[in-house]
Amino acid sequence: MKSQHSLNLRPISPKLEPSYAPVWKRLGKWGGFAMLALIYFPLLWLILLSISQNPLGGIPGSFSLEHYRALFSNSAWHKPMLASLAIGVLVGLVCAVAATIIGRALPTLNSPGRVLFMFVVPLFVPGMSMGAALFILARAVLNLKLGFWSVALGHFVWAFPFALLIVLVVTVRFDHRLVEAGRDLGASNWRVFWDIEFPILMPGIVSAALFGFLMSFNEVMRSIFLRGTAETMPVWSWIQAAAQQSQVPIIFSLASLVLLVTLPLLCGVFWLLFARVGRS
Amino acid sequence: MSEMQQTAGASGTATVGRQGFLRALAGRLADMNFAVTVILSTWFVLVIVPIVVLFAFSFFTTVQFRTVYEPTLDTWIGLFSSGRWEVTLRTLRIALTVTVIELLIAFPFALWLAKGCRSGTVQAVCLAMLTIPFFLDMSSRTIVWRAILGQSGLVNTMLLGTGLVDTPVEWLLYSEVAVHFGMVVSLFPPMVMPIYLAINLIDDTLLEASNDLGASPWQTLSRIIIPLSLPGVMAGVVFCLGPALAAWVEPGMLGGGFVNLISNSIESAYSALRYPVVAALSAFVILLLLLLLAAMYLIARRFGDPSSVSVFRG
Repeated sequence: MKSQHSLNLRPISPKLEPSYAPVWKRLGKWGGFAMLALIYFPLLWLILLSISQNPLGGIPGSFSLEHYRALFSNSAWHKPMLASLAIGVLVGLVCAVAATIIGRALPTLNSPGRVLFMFVVPLFVPGMSMGAALFILARAVLNLKLGFWSVALGHFVWAFPFALLIVLVVTVRFDHRLVEAGRDLGASNWRVFWDIEFPILMPGIVSAALFGFLMSFNEVMRSIFLRGTAETMPVWSWIQAAAQQSQVPIIFSLASLVLLVTLPLLCGVFWLLFARVGRS
Repeated sequence: MSEMQQTAGASGTATVGRQGFLRALAGRLADMNFAVTVILSTWFVLVIVPIVVLFAFSFFTTVQFRTVYEPTLDTWIGLFSSGRWEVTLRTLRIALTVTVIELLIAFPFALWLAKGCRSGTVQAVCLAMLTIPFFLDMSSRTIVWRAILGQSGLVNTMLLGTGLVDTPVEWLLYSEVAVHFGMVVSLFPPMVMPIYLAINLIDDTLLEASNDLGASPWQTLSRIIIPLSLPGVMAGVVFCLGPALAAWVEPGMLGGGFVNLISNSIESAYSALRYPVVAALSAFVILLLLLLLAAMYLIARRFGDPSSVSVFRG
């Protein structure tokens, strides 16, 4: 590859050519596409297996909604589901509010880099280590009784960096002359925020809330350490899958349902972020 | 923000001077420095303190399910003496292999996505598809591989059907291969995203200038793109290596108990109430990550563009 291209100096191309050889370009492209396919294929397979008679056989076939019926007649998953939803909503709201406050303040700080680094530290700490660290502080040092509150705290620590980064996308681009104009025209601080800043920052804030909710809703590593005896949805599925094979069809159906709700929600967030923010 | 909720709740019950109170509240909220300080200190307690405590706790020991608060190196020595050393080496080997494979696939893809892809829609869809997996449940995604790679799964059925093999291939599931495979699939997005962001920041005019001055594509790649994207590559390696070192879902579901990693040791120490061991193992994972990062930083400083590395540090 190398010799072929360094031998003949190419004429100056009018349009910028990607500066690497075509074969590598195609390899890179299709390698990535293959990985994306490997990421999304199991999701498709999950849904197919959830509507087939014998999901453990491995091949979907003789489709039926039998497992969904079994799922709805089984009420064991209701409580973990409600707990996950409640924790997710709480984490999402707290993330959105806190990320808005920090996201607005961060660009005006003296050393934004250091503060930002402190907030994104959990991204660099593996989930298991972070869960263990919070567990040891709460259980072994402070001797607290673990439960939903500690799970929610663990989820907040995990979700907040993402929420903050998303809000920063909109606050960094925010034109502060708008605020000055509002002040000059006699608006109070609160009115400036509510009437000028908030509508502009809204896509980022809503996305932060939704991302916070989804990160919390699907979190399992930290929950395992911080749950005490409480059960969230992913933890329940995990325990069922690990303990008894007979429950797996129900988990497939449940996971498919969650997926069918989550995917449109995520697409909505991306539409909000890219289409709305991109245009403004 | 809990204060905000409280005051908002209080304002609901107060009937007299509500307007004045709301105005005072608005003034307080406008003075965001207060709220920033509160959140920053909460964050310090929730993130930095636990990590410090984790390291401190690893120097204690347990005697008969009770933690002895006396600084000693026993727990750390235990990590390197017993069978755990083998587990540590295996974890390190698998994590590094997975990271190298990711890098080999992710870098060309990120390069294509950032500079080679002409269609904005394709780019946006790819980015969205790379981000979505962050928010999906790991365990349900991983458990499906059992149904695909298992003895009567999709792959074996296809292999048997085409007559390529006579008996089901057994090493596809519950083996190190399966664990590698599961990790490569799930850690691909965290590797691509930072590299993509770094390459995307490279000014097109630099590549154009390089081309105009007669550099071969290979020279442009090695002298401009790779040095300038090193911060992104390092971030990608951290985001891939960290979860790989602490991987738990993949060895649990695809290893089938045959592939024990550090996370399994942490879990068994956790259920045996040996908290100092939990702390030491978790701290060890963080230390390994820091060590590998430091090594990469030195390599990057040696070969890369110094200004781009300082951006990463600052």
